[in-house]
Amino acid sequence: MEVLAQLNGPVMYVICGGIVLLVAVICMVFAVRAYRAGKAIGIDVSKMKRVIIASATFAVLPSVGILLGVIALSGSLGTPWPWLRLSVIGALHYETQVADAAAEAVGMEKLSASAMTASGFSTIALLMSFCIIWGMLLMIINGKAYSTKLVLPKPETVETGGKQKKLNLKAFGDTAMTAMFIGLVSAYIASYIGQIVSANGLFTFTGSWLPLAVACVSALAMAGFLLIKEKAKADWIDSFSIAGSMLIAMGAAIFLGKIG
Amino acid sequence: MEQKAKQYEAYLNATHKLGRWLTVLVLVLLLAAPFAIGLYLGAMPNLGAAVKAFLGVGLVYLVSGIVEYLIYVPMLGAGGSYLAFMTGNLINMKIPCAINARDIVGVKSGTAENEIIATLSIATSSLVTILVLAAGVLLMIPLQPVLQSPVLQPAFENVVPALFGAMACKYYRMNRTVALIVLACMSLLFIFVPSLIGSTNMMVIPSGALAIVLAYLAFRRQQKAGGSL
Repeated sequence: MEVLAQLNGPVMYVICGGIVLLVAVICMVFAVRAYRAGKAIGIDVSKMKRVIIASATFAVLPSVGILLGVIALSGSLGTPWPWLRLSVIGALHYETQVADAAAEAVGMEKLSASAMTASGFSTIALLMSFCIIWGMLLMIINGKAYSTKLVLPKPETVETGGKQKKLNLKAFGDTAMTAMFIGLVSAYIASYIGQIVSANGLFTFTGSWLPLAVACVSALAMAGFLLIKEKAKADWIDSFSIAGSMLIAMGAAIFLGKIG
Repeated sequence: MEQKAKQYEAYLNATHKLGRWLTVLVLVLLLAAPFAIGLYLGAMPNLGAAVKAFLGVGLVYLVSGIVEYLIYVPMLGAGGSYLAFMTGNLINMKIPCAINARDIVGVKSGTAENEIIATLSIATSSLVTILVLAAGVLLMIPLQPVLQSPVLQPAFENVVPALFGAMACKYYRMNRTVALIVLACMSLLFIFVPSLIGSTNMMVIPSGALAIVLAYLAFRRQQKAGGSL
């Protein structure tokens, strides 16, 4: 417990808070630069404002979910370290898994405050930091070459907002992005279906149906928002439709959870 | 027009320069933090145990990191990618958020607008997460009973399904055939190989690849019918 007290000490807040603050400043710098550049090349300011509002509302609920991850990990790792990890670079599903594996490797039976040692913690912290650096590393090494090759717009797209006159493979780029996203969403929805049918053995139908039910409620709520948008020509609803659908579905999960 | 193109190119070049240096800085700080903490605790990391654990679990994240880089950089553009890889939570927040923003204002991928919109979207969502987490940490003691209340647990345990349900409704409408086929194939895969359920993150690769191939076949058919290919 003495280690946990140290992990919640002011020094830890200074180390972790300092990095979080730096990243917050970086985000602000990038946002201001993008906004100014957008204005300079003629992007409608109201469009950019809509993006900021939509992204802010979109991010609130997942952020609360991430906060729960901080709370969950704070019992064994103290509060500052999970706060840093989940504010910067980390991911909810990743941190717990790696922390668990690292705890095992340092000889702890499981990730817990009672078994935590100072050396164990610093090793776990190093592993959590190291395992997920690849995206950043690749951006440093090859980010410019890769992103320029793929997405550098031709001068005319700056003026016309991307209108392509020639129908060629380049026109496929946008369809490919939508398809990729359909693939991403499908993988998750399909995993919920697989979970119901075979999570506890092939065709046992005893797995949790809650994630699929929540996804369905969210989809229905989204359909409602889209209907309102189309019928009432209320484009503003786009900014809140995802967050609203999620809120409705998460509310439904509370009631559905009682049944399941 | 020429001047705007030049301005945009200068912006992109500066974004890469700034992005690279700031990423190096953040990376160094993140890797140095465990050693600084080790110094504070009086016990440095056990490198042997760290290597052992990396071989056990870290290699999966190496592959996943490379795949994420290859897939998401074209979606996010330069500024968005530097920020997204720096701030994390890609699949459960940054990617859907950027795609949602892009669709709300109707920009096409590979355009200057997409670059700007994605950067704004990711910067905003990252700042919101940082603020929510900072507020949560400040209010940790009074908030803990509410957030950890058993009544609310099903809600917070299902944030990701709630997110993907809404996104599915929005995106499946854009290409119903592709969505139906991919969903059916992936469902069968998860049903017959349930061990893959724990690796859904990795299964995004075959799922996305199948969706792109199907979309390409449909695109080619349309092009041929229009006589433009």
